[in-house]
Amino acid sequence: MRKLSTVLVLVFSVMLVMVFISCGKKRETIIKIGINAPITGDIPKVGEGSKFAAQMWLEDIEKAGGLQVGDKKYPVALVIEDNESKAESAVKANTKMITEDGVMVIIGPQSSKQAVPAGGVANDYQTPMISPWSTNPDTTKDRPFVFRACFLDPFQGPVAAKFVKEEFGFTRAAVLYDVASDYPKGLAEFFKKAWEEINGPDSVVAYESFTTKDTDFSSQLTKIKDSGAEFLFTPQYYNEVALIVKQAHELGFNNPIIGSDSWGSAETVSLCGEDCYGLFFSTHYAAAGAQGATKEFIDRYQQKHGYVPDDVAALTWDAIRLAQQAIENTGGLTGDVKKDRIAVRDQLAKIKDFAGITGNMTFTEEGDPIKCAVIVRISDQGEYEFYKQVCP
Amino acid sequence: MATQIPQTATSEHATAGLLPRIGRSLATVPALGWLVGVLCAVIIEYVIGDTLAVMLYLPKVPALFGTTLVLKQPLLFPSALLFVLLVYVLPIGAVARLSAGWTNRAAVALERVPIWLSVLVHLGLLYAVLHVWTEASDYRLQVAKLIMIAVMLTLSINVINGYMGEFSCSHPGFMALGAYASSVFTLLLFKQDRLFGAALLPESLGPYFFPIALVIGGAAAALGALVVAIPSFRTRGDYLAIISLAFMFIVKSAIENIEPIGGPRGMGGQPHWSTLPAVFAGMAICIWIINNFVRSTMGKALNAVRDNEIAADAMTVNTRRTKMVAFMFGAFWAGVAGGFYAHEVRHVTPGSFGIQMLAEILAMVYFGGLNSVVGSIVGAVSISMISEILKPLQLYKWIIIPLILILVMIFRPTGLVAFRDFDIKRILGARR
Repeated sequence: MRKLSTVLVLVFSVMLVMVFISCGKKRETIIKIGINAPITGDIPKVGEGSKFAAQMWLEDIEKAGGLQVGDKKYPVALVIEDNESKAESAVKANTKMITEDGVMVIIGPQSSKQAVPAGGVANDYQTPMISPWSTNPDTTKDRPFVFRACFLDPFQGPVAAKFVKEEFGFTRAAVLYDVASDYPKGLAEFFKKAWEEINGPDSVVAYESFTTKDTDFSSQLTKIKDSGAEFLFTPQYYNEVALIVKQAHELGFNNPIIGSDSWGSAETVSLCGEDCYGLFFSTHYAAAGAQGATKEFIDRYQQKHGYVPDDVAALTWDAIRLAQQAIENTGGLTGDVKKDRIAVRDQLAKIKDFAGITGNMTFTEEGDPIKCAVIVRISDQGEYEFYKQVCP
Repeated sequence: MATQIPQTATSEHATAGLLPRIGRSLATVPALGWLVGVLCAVIIEYVIGDTLAVMLYLPKVPALFGTTLVLKQPLLFPSALLFVLLVYVLPIGAVARLSAGWTNRAAVALERVPIWLSVLVHLGLLYAVLHVWTEASDYRLQVAKLIMIAVMLTLSINVINGYMGEFSCSHPGFMALGAYASSVFTLLLFKQDRLFGAALLPESLGPYFFPIALVIGGAAAALGALVVAIPSFRTRGDYLAIISLAFMFIVKSAIENIEPIGGPRGMGGQPHWSTLPAVFAGMAICIWIINNFVRSTMGKALNAVRDNEIAADAMTVNTRRTKMVAFMFGAFWAGVAGGFYAHEVRHVTPGSFGIQMLAEILAMVYFGGLNSVVGSIVGAVSISMISEILKPLQLYKWIIIPLILILVMIFRPTGLVAFRDFDIKRILGARR
C-alpha cells in the first residue's frame, strides 16, 4: 500500500513540475462562427440547408486564405451544433458555443420555438446572434444582440393582402390556418387585419382553422366555398399545402389560392403536383429566373447537393454574410472575444443597404431587417418564378 | 452516486495483479471519503485545469470529461484521456484512499448524530463539488441543472409507473401545467413583460417567492392529475395509458388556445431563478420526500395495488384513495420540475411538451429501473449524459441511444437498478 501512495505522490510532483514549465503558452486567434441548427428532430431538411449553406461559405473563406479584418487575415472555423429542434437543446447549444467554443457570432436557430429561448442566452452573454428564419417578434424584442435575416409576419401579412388587391381586385377573402402553430396563426391574423383595412370590415368572409397534423379539411373548405370567397389565403407548411390545395380542387373551389413563405420549400411542388401550378405566394426569394449573386448561389448549391436550395439555405447564407460584413467592418480584432463580440454587434446594427441574395437589408433598432418581399408564381413546369417585388 | 465511483476510479491505471488489491483497499473508503476525493479533484481542475489543458494541446478544459471533444476531434483522445486521468481518476483514488482513516472516523462520529445532520453534511459536500465543478464553465452548469430537473421528473413518474404499476403518459402535460402556472405567477408579480405588463412587486423580492411559484406550479399539476384520476378509477393498464395520453393532448391544445398566456407563440422572459443552489435544493428535497413516501405505509399500499388490486382491497387497503394520492403526488413533483424548467430555459411553448418529451421521460424511468429511487436517479443522469455526450454524432445518436435501450430491456427487463430502496444509513455509514 505504501508503495502505491509513493507512486501517486511522485506522479503528482512530476505533473506539477510540468505545469510550471509550460506556463505562459499562447493560443492563436481563430474566428469561430456558431451554427445552431436542427440537424435531427422534426425538421432535419431545414438543418441540412443551413449546414450546407454555412459550409459553402466556409469554402469561400478558406479559398481566400482566411477572413481579412483590418490588415490581418484570420483563420475561420465553423462550430455546428445540433439543437434537435428542441428549445432546451437550443439553449444548451448556444451556451456551449459561447462559453466552451468561444464563438464570435451565432447563426440560428431557425424556428422560433428554439430561437426565442436561445436568443435570451445570446443576449445575456453579449454575443451577437442572427436568426435567419424566425418570425416571432419576441426573438429580437428588447435584445440588442439578437438580429434576424427575414422579414416579420406583421410585414408579410399586409404584403400578401396588398398584392391580391392590386393583382385581382378581389373584395372577399377566405383564410384557412393551423390554430396550434404560431407561425400560420400569427400570419393569418395579420393578413385578416390588413385585408379588412383595405376592404372594410367583414371582407374576410370565412376564417377557418384546424389543428396540426389534421389531414381532412373538407368541412372547412366546404364552408369556404359556400361563403362566396373569391380567393383563399393559407399560410401553411408544404405538407399541408398539398392536401389543402388538392382537396379544395376536388370540392370544386377553383379560385386562386395564395400562400406565404412557408410554401417556399422544394417539397411543395413535388407533393402537390399540377394542382399547385399557377398559384402565388409571398416569400424571400425566387429560385427560377434569379439573377446575379442569387443565381450563382443557387447554381453552386444545386451542383453540389443535387437540389434547388429553399429559402432557409438562402437566408442562412445571407445571415452568415451579414456576420462576415460586420466582422470586417470592425476594422481589426483585439483577440479578446468578449470585446470583439460587442464590436461586431455594433457594426451589425449599423449595416445599411446590405446586398443579400434575398434582397437588400437595413436593420431597424430592434434588429429586424427592412427588406422587400418577393411574390412567386409556381410556373406550369412547377418552378418558382419571380413575379413581382413588393417593398414596404 | 457515491457507490458508482469505485469502478471508474480503478479501471484505468492498474495492471492485472494490482487491480484486486486496489479494489480491496478502496472498498474501505466511506461515502464521505469519496466526496472529499471528488472535491479535491474538482478543485485541482479549477486551479490548474487550464494550464494543464494547454500543455496537453487541448483547446480548453474539457466540459464533460472530454467526451464531446473526442467525438468531434478523435485525434485528441490521448490528451483527453490523460487529462481525465490526471485531474479526476488519480486524485480521486489517491485522496479517497489516503484520507480513508480519518473519513472513516468522521463517518463513525456522524453515525452517532441524528441522520438528518449526517445527510446535510454529505449534501453540503456534494453541493460544494457541484459548485466548483460548474464554476469552470456555464455550459457544464446548464447541463448539470437540466440533469437535476430530469432527476425530479423521472422520480415523479416512477411513483406512478413504477410503484403504482400504472402506465401514465400524462407527465409532459403535468410539467406544462407546472411550467405555465409558475411562469404566470412570476411574470405577473415580478417581471415587466409583453403579456401581463408591468410588475406588481419589485423584482428583488422575487427569489424569495420562487419556492411559492414552484408550489403553485406543483399544485396546478396535482389538480390536473385529479382530472385524470377521476375518470380513470374504473380503468387499469392500457385504458389509463390512453386516458392520460389524451390528457396530455388536452393540456397542450388548451394552452395553444388561451391567448392571454401566449397561445402557440408561447410565454417567454421568465426571470433566471433556477440557479444551482435552488435546483440542487429542489432535487434534494424531492428525493428525500419521494424516498420517504415510497417507504411509508402509503408506499407499501401502492405496491399492493400494483401487485393485485382485489387482494389489496380485501386487505383493507383503500385502493381508490391510494391511487388518487399517488397520482397527485407524482404530478405535483412533475409540476415543480416544470417550474424549474421554465425558469431555466426561460421560454415555454405548448409544442415543447409533447410526445417527444414523453418518450424521453419514459426512456429515463425504464432505463434506470422501476420501483427504485436509486434507479430513477441513475436513469435520468445516464440518459441525459449519454444524449449530451453523443450529440456530435448527430443522426447516429438516434441509433445508438435506442440500441442501448433495447439491450438494457433485453438483459435487464426491469431496468438497470430496479426494486432497490435507498438505504441512507448504509450508504453514509463507515466502512470498517
